Amino acid sequence: MALAVITRVGAVPRLPHGLLRALVRFLRTTPGRLMALLLGLLLLCLLMATVTVAGVQRKAGEIRDLVTGSEPLTVTAQDIYRALSDADATASSAFLAGGVEPASTRAQYTADITQAASALALTAGTRTPGDPLLTLSAQLPVYTGLVETARANNRQGFPVGAAYLREASGLMRTTLLPAAERFYQAENDRLANEQNAAASFPVAEVLLAAVILGCLVAAQRYLLRLTNRMFNVGLVTATAAVTISLLWLLTAMILVSVHLASARQDSSNQIAVLVQARLAAVQARADETLTLVARGTGQSYEQDFVAASAKLGGSDGAGGLLGKARALATSPAVRADLDDAVYYQQSWTKTHAAIRKADDAGQYDQAVATTVGAADTSSGTIFARLDQSLVAAINTARQAFSAGTDAAAAALTLLTPGLIVFAVLAGAGSVFGIWQRLREYW
Amino acid sequence: MRPAAVPGALLVAAAVLVACGTTTTSYPPPPAAVPGGPQPLGVGGGPSTVSTPPPAPDCDPTASLRPDGPLPPPGNPPAGSTMARIAERGRLIAGVDQTTYPFGFRDPFSGELTGFDIDMLHAVSAALFGDPNRIQFKTITSAERISALTQGQVDIVARTMTIDCSRAQQVGFSTVYYVAGQRVLVNRGSSVTGIGDLTGRKVCATKGSTSLDAIAAAASHPVPVSVDNWTDCLVMMQQGQVDAVSTDDTILVGLVAQDPYTVIVGPRFTDEPYGIAVPKQDEDFVRFVNAVLERMRADGDWRASYQRWLGTRLGPVPDPPPARYRD
Repeated sequence: MALAVITRVGAVPRLPHGLLRALVRFLRTTPGRLMALLLGLLLLCLLMATVTVAGVQRKAGEIRDLVTGSEPLTVTAQDIYRALSDADATASSAFLAGGVEPASTRAQYTADITQAASALALTAGTRTPGDPLLTLSAQLPVYTGLVETARANNRQGFPVGAAYLREASGLMRTTLLPAAERFYQAENDRLANEQNAAASFPVAEVLLAAVILGCLVAAQRYLLRLTNRMFNVGLVTATAAVTISLLWLLTAMILVSVHLASARQDSSNQIAVLVQARLAAVQARADETLTLVARGTGQSYEQDFVAASAKLGGSDGAGGLLGKARALATSPAVRADLDDAVYYQQSWTKTHAAIRKADDAGQYDQAVATTVGAADTSSGTIFARLDQSLVAAINTARQAFSAGTDAAAAALTLLTPGLIVFAVLAGAGSVFGIWQRLREYW
Repeated sequence: MRPAAVPGALLVAAAVLVACGTTTTSYPPPPAAVPGGPQPLGVGGGPSTVSTPPPAPDCDPTASLRPDGPLPPPGNPPAGSTMARIAERGRLIAGVDQTTYPFGFRDPFSGELTGFDIDMLHAVSAALFGDPNRIQFKTITSAERISALTQGQVDIVARTMTIDCSRAQQVGFSTVYYVAGQRVLVNRGSSVTGIGDLTGRKVCATKGSTSLDAIAAAASHPVPVSVDNWTDCLVMMQQGQVDAVSTDDTILVGLVAQDPYTVIVGPRFTDEPYGIAVPKQDEDFVRFVNAVLERMRADGDWRASYQRWLGTRLGPVPDPPPARYRD
């Protein structure tokens, strides 16, 4: 049947539409169809190689971005908030101490400002809705300027220094801290989105591989009908290569999802709660100090303290965010750090009650000494230790994040060259297998 | 495609390719400055009621209650009196200012509250307990002075508080322990010579103060700006947010002491008799405080305290204002 209309391959017509007609005629012949099949399979194999390799590279990039971009950026964002809030509390406690501020207090304030400023520099260029970074970068120098004006006046014994300090604290609480909080929230959301994206299943790549598999099977059925030969070595090889690619891809992607999910569970979710705890603690500390600075009219600060403290540790110090973090903790090290944190939160609550009792009974000096003193029993020391245990817990949890993402990245090892090799094998097998049949028509 | 069109199409394609290949390095323009500098917390406008109600015809606010004879010995107050209640508690709870140099302020070096007003309270404490330091200070803003007393948060308020009829209806005042007068503070080199030159200019005072009422009522129609504390006014003036501060000369003297680039101008245009305030019902305590003030007028303590805090900044040390009683 088909032999009747066979044309010589070399007979190239002169006119373009004659060429088209000749091509259509050629495709109706068996060698024509075989040729088309050969080219089609070759093209599909090339496409598969390109798409899957690009997909794997993108996935590897997303995982790398999590480790080098989003996750550190989230940590940096919370560092900014904490450093600013601590600077506010430290500046206020220097005022409380009276006289020339202790060198250690000054050093802590400077460290806080340096940390906030360098963290801001690291985050430069990050686009966040509402531009909280713009607010932070613009207002931080204004804040430090006010604090230095306050210091200069304080050192001359002028009460206007306290007014500048109050203005600085107001700027911090109404402008800087809300911007820092917005930035942290935005970065945390971004991390969650990127984790979702990285753990997402590569539908397009797998579908494409499945389509190619189907085409290969169809091609073999066609050849079976055409030649009555059960196996075509080339096409069987190609089918095997595509099947292995598909299975490898599926396994690797499932592993990536599993490891990223465990990174999230063992780390990101816990860190989010631990960070909230840390921010609540530093908030409570600032409120505690400002209650005493306000001296008698600090009821609103005291209410804020009670709210922040309850948010941090619940009614007994072991609930609230600390309790939630303790329940989420998956490693014994984090759990031990949180036990310390609960212990310090409980002693802080007791110390704070003593401070309020002293202040309410008119023993203001004693209340101040218990709040800003360097003694082990002062609430300043207890707060510092609480913060240290939370930092230790966050650092441990961050290691779980790196471990999880490293494992996810490792699941992609050799996948790119493997996919290329198998795609080449599939292409070569297809060409070889069909060429063998095509040759019979020459 | 016509052959002539081929080079053109190639050129366009090349241009597109080049454009795609070049990384654009144009940065966005720097954002405009974030508007507005920082301001003290709680900046507001003029008083809520511009004109204070006219005093009742029979109101003589500076006439106080006569002491019941000489002071009782410390630690031995009449039973059932306000003084007995305070003695039983063991400390006097006083509403003061920690920002107004030199009347009530926190000494940045010692961290202690000191000033002329605070000296008055130490004298009351000494008369009550035989110890000038049995005082729990609560800092309050100008606007909180009356509510702190009516709500029973404090026993006594000594905070540059002008005696007037509307206040005398709500709290009990001692005899006058100081007479100040409202003047104007401007930057050195300013063309302003008094309250009359401040038309349309921003003038700062604290919320709930008689000074703010006087600014709002001034014929020259300045724009009143209100804050929580007097030092906030100095902050706003140093930041160029107000043109002047107008209040009692005593407070302005304290601001000049903290900023030599300011100067007090113009005549006194009000009289501000300061009184120590206690809850309206504690009339026995008013008489007790008046007895303490009598003693201070007589034994030179008043002059010593004036000398310490005001010196000769407002001229030579005056005699204490005489006490006037209504019964």
